Amino acid sequence: MAFFKKTAAAEPNKPLTLFQRRWKKFKSLKRGYYSLVIITTAYVISWFLPILVNNTAIVVHYEGETYFPAVRELVGMSYFHAGSEFGMTGEFADKEASYRLLDETWEQANSDNFVIMPIYPYGPIEDFQTAGNQAFLAPFAPDGHGHGRVLGTDDRGRDVFSRMAYGFNVSLSFALALVLLEYLIGIPLGMISGYKGGWFDTILQRFIEIWSTLPTLFVIIIVVSLITPSFALLLALLSITAWIGICWLIRAEFLREKSKDYVAAAISIGVPTRKILIKHILPNSLVPIITYFPFAIVAGIGSLVSLDFLGFGLPAPTPSWGEMVQMGLKYITSNPVKWWLIASPLGAMFTTLLMTVFVGESIREAFDPKVFSRLR
Amino acid sequence: MGTYFLRRLLLAIPTFIGCTIVVFSIVQLAPGGPLEQQKRQLQAAAAERGGSGGVASEGETTIPPKALEELKRYYGFDKPLHERYLIWLGLWPREIDQYSVTLDSARRVSGGQFLIVKRQAGGLSVYDASNTSTPITTWLVADKKHEDGSPNIYVYKTTFSGILTGDFGRSYQYREPVIELIKERLPVSIQFGVIGFLVAYVVALYLGIQKALEHRSRFDIFSSVGLFALNSMPGWALGAILLMLLATDTFWSLLPLGGMQGTDYESLQIGSKIIERARHFILPVIAYSVGGIASLTMLMKNSLLENLSQDYVRTAFAKGLREKRVIWMHAMRNSIIPLAARAGFVITIFLAGSFIIELVFNIEGIGKLSYMAILSRDYPIVFAFTVIGVSTLLLGNIISDFILALVDPRIRFK
Repeated sequence: MAFFKKTAAAEPNKPLTLFQRRWKKFKSLKRGYYSLVIITTAYVISWFLPILVNNTAIVVHYEGETYFPAVRELVGMSYFHAGSEFGMTGEFADKEASYRLLDETWEQANSDNFVIMPIYPYGPIEDFQTAGNQAFLAPFAPDGHGHGRVLGTDDRGRDVFSRMAYGFNVSLSFALALVLLEYLIGIPLGMISGYKGGWFDTILQRFIEIWSTLPTLFVIIIVVSLITPSFALLLALLSITAWIGICWLIRAEFLREKSKDYVAAAISIGVPTRKILIKHILPNSLVPIITYFPFAIVAGIGSLVSLDFLGFGLPAPTPSWGEMVQMGLKYITSNPVKWWLIASPLGAMFTTLLMTVFVGESIREAFDPKVFSRLR
Repeated sequence: MGTYFLRRLLLAIPTFIGCTIVVFSIVQLAPGGPLEQQKRQLQAAAAERGGSGGVASEGETTIPPKALEELKRYYGFDKPLHERYLIWLGLWPREIDQYSVTLDSARRVSGGQFLIVKRQAGGLSVYDASNTSTPITTWLVADKKHEDGSPNIYVYKTTFSGILTGDFGRSYQYREPVIELIKERLPVSIQFGVIGFLVAYVVALYLGIQKALEHRSRFDIFSSVGLFALNSMPGWALGAILLMLLATDTFWSLLPLGGMQGTDYESLQIGSKIIERARHFILPVIAYSVGGIASLTMLMKNSLLENLSQDYVRTAFAKGLREKRVIWMHAMRNSIIPLAARAGFVITIFLAGSFIIELVFNIEGIGKLSYMAILSRDYPIVFAFTVIGVSTLLLGNIISDFILALVDPRIRFK
C-alpha cells in the first residue's frame, strides 16, 4: 500500500484534486485573482498602519535614549509620552508629544536628537487642537507649516487620507467578523434544519419568515438610537438577521445531499449523526459557503457604511467611511464644496467593493461553473 | 389557485403579527422613550426656574409623582406590554376621555354631561348628576392608587381603535394623526419609487437583451464591468457623488440640490413646471434604480441566453422562421418570466428601503419622516412605518407569486 502511495506522489502528472483544479481555474481568471491579491495585501498592510500612517513617531532618539512609540501602539501597548519627556515646553508639556513639531525643531536646531516619522505623518484622530492642523484644508493646500495633506482635512482638522486608510481596516475587519458570526450561526442551523427536517425545520422556517420580513436597517437604527453603539453591539445587531442568507443556502444543500447514497451508506454502517453532518456532508457543501463569502463581505461593508452615514454606526472618533460622507454632505451647500470629504471615502468603498465583487464572481465561476456569469 | 393565494394571505397574518410584536417590544422596552424625554425636559425647565438651586439640587429636581402618572397614562405606559400591543392593534379597549374625579362630587365631562362617582358595596359606580338612582354604563371608572397611597379615581370611555381600524395614533411631535402625516408624504415616496422601478426595468430589459444577443462581444464585456461597478455601490452613495458633481457650484451646477421643486414653482408655466419637476427627479431616480438595474440586467441576459440555447429555439430556426420572430415571439416570452416574478418584490424595496436616499436628496417622503421620528422618539410614526414596511414586503411576495402564475402557465400553485 505504502509502495503505491509513494509512486503516486512521485508521478509528475498526478491528477489534480478537485480543489486544486478549482484553484487553478480561479487563478486563470485574472480579474478576480488580481483583485484577491490586491485586496488581501492591502488588508494585511492595513494592520501595520500605525507605523505607516500615523502622527506618532516610529523612532524618537532623545538625549541618548531611544523610544519606539508607534511600534508600541502597533502591538497595542500604551504609548503615551508627554511632551515634557522630550523637552517640549508650553502647549505640549502635559499633552501627548507632537512628534512632527519635535522633528521640525530638532531638524532646525541641528541637534543630535532625531525623530523618524511614519511615511505619512498624520494620524486619523488628531484634530485641530494639535499644532499644524486646520479644518477644511483642501488636498495639497499648505497648512501653517507648509505641509499639504494628500486628501485634505475634515471639519475638525483630521487628515482625510489617514482616516480613509484606517477606515479600510475598520470596514473590512467589521465585515469579516460579521461574516464569521453569521456563518457560525447560519451554518449549524441550516445543517440541522436541512438534515433533520421535521418540527425543527418547520419552526425555523416560520421564524425565518418573520425575521426576514423585519425592516432590518430600520430596526437596527431604532435600537442603536436607544443604546450607545460599539463595534461588538453593531456586529451582534447586524448578525441577528444576516445569518438567514447562508442558513437558507446550507439548508437547501443538506436537503439535497442527505438523499444521496454516501449518506445512506454512512448511516447503514452506524456513523453517528454529528459525524455524518460534519465529516461527510459538510465537505460536499463547501461550494455555497465559499461562493457566498465575498458577497457577504460586500453586504457587510455596505450596511456598516450606511449605518455610519446615518449616524448610528461606530462610536465617534472611529475612522469610518460613512461618517466622512455624512460630513461631506452636511457641507454640500458651502462653496467650494468639500468634495474630498465625499469622494475619498466613497472612492475607497467603491474600489474595495468592486474588487470584492470581482473576486466573488471569479470564485463562483471557478467553483460553480455555469455557462453564464451571474450577479447573484 | 384561488385557495392557494387565500392561504398565502392568511399565512401572512401570523408573520405580520410576529414582526410587529418584535418591533413593538424593542421600542417599548428600550430606555430613553418619550416619557424619559418629557421628564428630562420638565426637569430642565424646573432646574432653570429654580435657578439658584445649585448643583446639588439640580440632580434631585423631580417631577411631582402625579404629573408623572399623568404622563404615563398619556403615553399608555401604565399598562403591561401585551395590553399596550393589543390596544395598538385595536383588539383591546383603548381608554379615551379620561377625567380625574373625587368621590361624590359632580365632574363635568365631554358633551356637557355631569358625572358623579359613588362608592357602593360592589365597588365604584358612575351616575349622571341629574339622575343618581340608576348607574350609567357608557362611562367606566378606574379605582387606583397614586404612588403616595392617595386614591386615584378617574372616569373614562373605551373604544376599540388601533391599526386594524385604521387608527395609527397621533404623532407626539406634530400633534397630528399619523395617518394624515403619512397621507401627505406617501405619494411623494411612491412617485420616486414607481419611476425608479420603471426606469430600472426598462433599462434592464434593453441592456439585458442587447447583452444576450451580443454575448461575449466587447459591448457585453465592458457593460458587465460597468454593471458590477453599479452593483457594488449603494444607490445613495452614487447619488451623493452625482449630487456633488452635478448640483454644486464647485463643479457643474446643472441640477437642483434636492427636494421636490424649486421655490418659484407655483409661478411657472405648465411647460417649465414639468421641466422643473424632471430636473428634481433625475438624480434621485438614478439613485433608486441603480441597485435594481445591475441585478435585473444580468437576470434578463442569462434568462434569454438560456432560452436561446433551448431545443425549441433550434426547432423554430430549423423550420425557417426569421431571427427576429424567434427571438421576440419565442425566446423572449419565456425569458421575461423571472423578471416579471421579481416585480412584486422590487416594489417593496423601493418603498421601504428608501429612507437613506430620501435623506440624501432631502425628499419629504415617509422614509425621511420615520427617520426623524426615530430621532425624536415619535413612536406612533415609527410603528406606522413598520406596518407599512412589513405589509408591503408580505404583499410584495404574494404579488410576485401571483404575477409568476399569470405569466407562466406551467406554474400551478397548490
